[in-house]
Amino acid sequence: MHCKDLTEKLDDYMDGGLDQATAEAIASHAGTCETCRAVIERARELRGLLGDYPVPQAQAGFYDRALVRATHKGGRRQRNRWLLSGFGSAVAAGLAAWVIFGLLPDVPQTPDALASIPGVTIALEEERTINLVFASATALDGATLTLSLPDGIELAGFPGQREITWTTSLKAGRNLLPLTLVALTPTGGELIAHLQHNERNRTFRLRVDVS
Amino acid sequence: MSNAEQNLNFERIVRPHFDRLYRLAWRLTGNKAEAEDLFQELLVKAYGLLDDLVAIEEPGSWLSRVMYNLFVDQHRRYTRQRMHLVDEGHLPGAGLADLAGDLDPVTDIERLENLMRLDAALGQLSEEHRLIVLLHDTEGYKLKEIQDITGVPVGTIKSRLHRARARLRDILSPDGTFS
Ligand SMILES: [Zn+2]
Repeated sequence: MHCKDLTEKLDDYMDGGLDQATAEAIASHAGTCETCRAVIERARELRGLLGDYPVPQAQAGFYDRALVRATHKGGRRQRNRWLLSGFGSAVAAGLAAWVIFGLLPDVPQTPDALASIPGVTIALEEERTINLVFASATALDGATLTLSLPDGIELAGFPGQREITWTTSLKAGRNLLPLTLVALTPTGGELIAHLQHNERNRTFRLRVDVS
Repeated sequence: MSNAEQNLNFERIVRPHFDRLYRLAWRLTGNKAEAEDLFQELLVKAYGLLDDLVAIEEPGSWLSRVMYNLFVDQHRRYTRQRMHLVDEGHLPGAGLADLAGDLDPVTDIERLENLMRLDAALGQLSEEHRLIVLLHDTEGYKLKEIQDITGVPVGTIKSRLHRARARLRDILSPDGTFS
């Protein structure tokens, strides 16, 4: 067993899809090879994280209400109010991308987190929703949020505006800011979100690449 | 069959699958409002197809497939235009903060941070990669079940899963370690 073989078989190994002899060969190689041991360890950690990735349960009564609406004669579902349905002809650009900015003050930022600016890739001239998440340990009332857009990137509904500022309140916990971006040129660049609350400032950067 | 009987019959078939379908809706949409919409839309559609539904041997996988198709159609039809902060109930992994308290606080913050990093890393995957890794590694669907739901062949699913995991490992630990 060589390191390369192990890497190739890693998924099957993790999924328990290998015959016993091969699995044992991997285990014994990992026993002597530190690099491969670390590779397996990372794969296990990732699996653990994914297995632990929660979704909330349905709210009490939701299933019953959904059943009643479905079986009620002529029952039409009601779209959640914030989901606009008036864009029937627009091209939806698939799922939103998620970018999370932590504001948890007591958690030291790891060097990794500081070094890597999150990035998203959007297609030219196609709307794409980017969900910015601001995770805050405390509620921030009356915060000012300023968005600066790179050249060639516009916020849908705000044509020609490079900078947009508004006042908002953040709850303790996670706050979602969905932005629908459109790239007008293939250049891309950095989108900057600047959050100001009382005397405190935080700047968040998001790299936007255009494909 | 009377209306009331018909409704009971419908409920008897679909209710056992609700939790799994609701989770699937979350994995597809990534947020509560759309997950609820999708779930509701599925029930409306399924009720209209009750005659077919009663004859189906595995209604659970049929319902999952219909939900997936509705989701794909919906995303062709709608785009979203929102410009406000909404509450955390609309997030994937919403309620992460509620998990705090049971565990030792340090571990807990680490877990929260790790999950948030996972959230962010998943956001960098393409949607088909993200969906497959969530269905397989998080929800425990088998490759064959994912094929039945999405119509994507098992071989393709396997290679997407492989690439998605490798990418996640890279994003989460560019230097080879998680922490
Ligand atoms: Zn090795």
